[in-house]
Amino acid sequence: MGGLLSYFSGLFGSKERRILILGLDGAGKTTILYRLQVGEVVTTIPTIGFNVETVQYKNLKFQVWDLGGQTSIRPYWRCYYSNTDAIIYVVDSMDRDRIGISKQELFSMLEEDELKKAVLVVFANKQDIEGAMTVSEVANALGLTNIKTNKYQIFKTSAIKGTGLDEAMEWLSNTLTQAK
Amino acid sequence: MYTLFSGLWKYMFQKDEYNVLILGLDNAGKTTYLEQTKMKFTKNYQGMSLNKITTTVGLNIGTITIGGVKLKFWDLGGQEELQSLWDKYYAESHAVIYVVDSSDKERIDESKDAFDKMIVNDSLKDVPLLLLANKQDLPEVVTVGTIKSVFYGSSDLIGQRDCRVNGVSALKGDGINDGIEWIVDCVKRNNFVRPPVQKDIT
Repeated sequence: MGGLLSYFSGLFGSKERRILILGLDGAGKTTILYRLQVGEVVTTIPTIGFNVETVQYKNLKFQVWDLGGQTSIRPYWRCYYSNTDAIIYVVDSMDRDRIGISKQELFSMLEEDELKKAVLVVFANKQDIEGAMTVSEVANALGLTNIKTNKYQIFKTSAIKGTGLDEAMEWLSNTLTQAK
Repeated sequence: MYTLFSGLWKYMFQKDEYNVLILGLDNAGKTTYLEQTKMKFTKNYQGMSLNKITTTVGLNIGTITIGGVKLKFWDLGGQEELQSLWDKYYAESHAVIYVVDSSDKERIDESKDAFDKMIVNDSLKDVPLLLLANKQDLPEVVTVGTIKSVFYGSSDLIGQRDCRVNGVSALKGDGINDGIEWIVDCVKRNNFVRPPVQKDIT
């Protein structure tokens, strides 16, 4: 019965897609989440645990999970992997020192079976700050070219200014409508 | 005995997998071409609407099965700053499809430069090259012949490789099958030099 219901709700295009926002601490995940949801910059504190919100973009509903990014709580990310349609991976483009760690986390994540079908969207965030790494620098530093199995796209964003988020969501909604 | 059967099983059901790179300048129509190809060679495939395709800044993936082999496409972003990422894929690819926007006369030379830069790379030695003069559905485009002569300027760089120029319209879907079939023939013929990816059936 539930299957039938979800089939019909699928017909009306209102099926919720599950998205995880991941990345190191201080990358700007929570700011992005609320920027997407309410369109404003909210004052955030480091997330311990998670924030979850439903975001409506055009006719697609996204259930967006923003998980805390500190070292001690990263091991818990994997508890949220099942049924994930897309991952938004946020990188602080100013943080040259820790981009290597970010890369490691990204690849250990992509090795998980549950994420084999997930679409990856990388946000090179904090582009509003002068001296931030460019898109290709971020892509190289993250070793994105080693990804051969997942569809991915990288965007330069500024959560504070709100730039780049629209294009990213547009792309994501197009991709996810197609994927089913 | 087990080996015999598993060998037989593999022989019958395992498909060789080849990787095909789709390259070209931005806005040449690479992603549209990939989507169109997927639509043509996959039954019941619901593609994304072609007019919604935006700039790729990353990687799109598509797999089709044709003539007993599997082709896996890697469609990369073509913007100048992203071209530095192309070479990371060369070593593992079995064929390259290079898409040229025939309607953009000003950038043909730029496209050829990027092409030259690509084929001098050693990792692409002896891969078949398929050159597509895309957007042939538009009026007043550069003809396939002209593009051919421009790119054959670098024939000494192309060397012994299989190379072919096709006119296509990715948007309308014209001329796609022919090229793909050619690619299949080439990678099969070439499989001593570049063996296919073996996937174990478990």
